[in-house]
Amino acid sequence: MNALLPDIATILPTLLGGLQISLTLTFFSLLFGLPFGMLFSFGVTADNKIFRYISVFFVEVGRGAPALVLLQLMYYGLPNVQITLTSLVSACLALVWTTAAYTAELIRGGIQSVPHGEIEGSDALGMSVRDRLRFIVIPQGMRIALPSLMGFAVLLFQATSLAYTVAVPELMSQAYSTGSSTFKYLPAFIAAGLLYAAISIPATWLSVLTEKRLSRHL
Amino acid sequence: MSHTAPTKIRNVVQVRNLAKAYGDNVVLRDVSLSVPEGSVTAMIGPSGAGKSTVLRCMNLLEKPDSGEIEIDGHVINARKKISPKNLAALRRSAGMVFQHFNLFPHMTVLRNISLPQERILGRSRDEANTKTMELLTRMGLGDKADHYPARCSGGQQQRIAIARALALGPRVMLFDEPTSALDPEVGVEVLEVMKELASEGMTMVVVTHEMGFAANVSNELVVMADGCIIESGDPRQIMSDPQHERTRRFLRAVLER
Ligand SMILES: Nc1ncnc2c1ncn2[C@@H]1O[C@H](COP(=O)(O)OP(=O)(O)OP(=O)(O)O)[C@@H](O)[C@H]1O
Ligand SMILES: [Mg+2]
Repeated sequence: MNALLPDIATILPTLLGGLQISLTLTFFSLLFGLPFGMLFSFGVTADNKIFRYISVFFVEVGRGAPALVLLQLMYYGLPNVQITLTSLVSACLALVWTTAAYTAELIRGGIQSVPHGEIEGSDALGMSVRDRLRFIVIPQGMRIALPSLMGFAVLLFQATSLAYTVAVPELMSQAYSTGSSTFKYLPAFIAAGLLYAAISIPATWLSVLTEKRLSRHL
Repeated sequence: MSHTAPTKIRNVVQVRNLAKAYGDNVVLRDVSLSVPEGSVTAMIGPSGAGKSTVLRCMNLLEKPDSGEIEIDGHVINARKKISPKNLAALRRSAGMVFQHFNLFPHMTVLRNISLPQERILGRSRDEANTKTMELLTRMGLGDKADHYPARCSGGQQQRIAIARALALGPRVMLFDEPTSALDPEVGVEVLEVMKELASEGMTMVVVTHEMGFAANVSNELVVMADGCIIESGDPRQIMSDPQHERTRRFLRAVLER
């Protein structure tokens, strides 16, 4: 028991490689997920039927199905239809889908809370629909959605631990393999937990701070 | 005016047989109105009369069910398809000022006024900023250019909104209760600016509860009730000798307040 602290201290540095993979996975999921989230946020209320149906499908399935199910589907399911992806790519695809689905709703919420008066203001000036979106609706909608998007990013970072089920060597699987090879499960998982927290907690603070900063002009 | 000798004064705004309903609620019935160049038309009437709706139909913020709107030669007929180009031209000819200013809170005062000039008139940023500063200075707000709207008082925000509309060089300015959200002392600043605009010859349509402004600044008073114009003409004439019982009741209510 009294070896716990030194054990954590020795295991922790060996997990940093895993942390890096977790962060990379988070980064690429956001990089590709957010643009799709933005697209679907308009898609779910679009007049164009095909665009709307596709958007609703991706948003509903992405939110309805657990990320774990999407992940298993990409890795173990797709080979049944002759599509074989590496574990990293399938994990990334699943998390991109989840990200797009959740952020679509967050962005839509932000966009819908842009006060109607400002939209009328830009209409009365004679601004085009495109300019209205570009200069008024999207900047403000994103600003309103930003704190909750940052909150989502923290959850996504934690959700990358699911990728251990498809053998991506991220933080969780590194901790697991250290545990199973040394039987020091407790210090290994504590070390992993500390590393997740070391990223998540400051990131959460940052989102709160952002929220405060952004409400300055309102 | 039409039955006297032909004059050179032309109408900047003509509204013909405007009608609009929200479901079963008929809000406008056959409203027609002409606004001669350089004149100020004040519009009064009880709440729900349809004053805002007439004004909002003029620049198509609200789509009328039938009727025709002509502003500075741009004609829009409610029953025909409205081309985006025609709509843009009409809106460019009409500047609108709202009760709640409707400024863009995420932009500085300067950007609020310059951005529409760049996007709608195609001015360069320098040209737009020069025009903006000229207008702000005229409004006594030269020092506010780099502030965000939320840091300005209500009266300042409304003057900024007026400057934003003026910067596009409209042929007519439409005001929907521009002082109703302001304290009386602050409202005076805005009324002063409007009075100055009128004296410079700007054509204006003003929905207002400010009877002083209606009596002293406007050339024409339009009284609305239940979706109709029930009376219109010389402001002082109507105020001292209203022809319609509904007008009498409304004026009594306003003046007794
Ligand atoms: N978007 C809307 N949907 C449904 N009804 C509406 C809408 N806008 C206005 N109305 C109705 O139209 C009628 C006229 O409204 P309008 O705002 O033009 O009146 P107003 O003369 O400007 O009154 P006020 O002095 O209160 O501003 C009212 O009965 C109102 O309830
Ligand atoms: Mg009104």
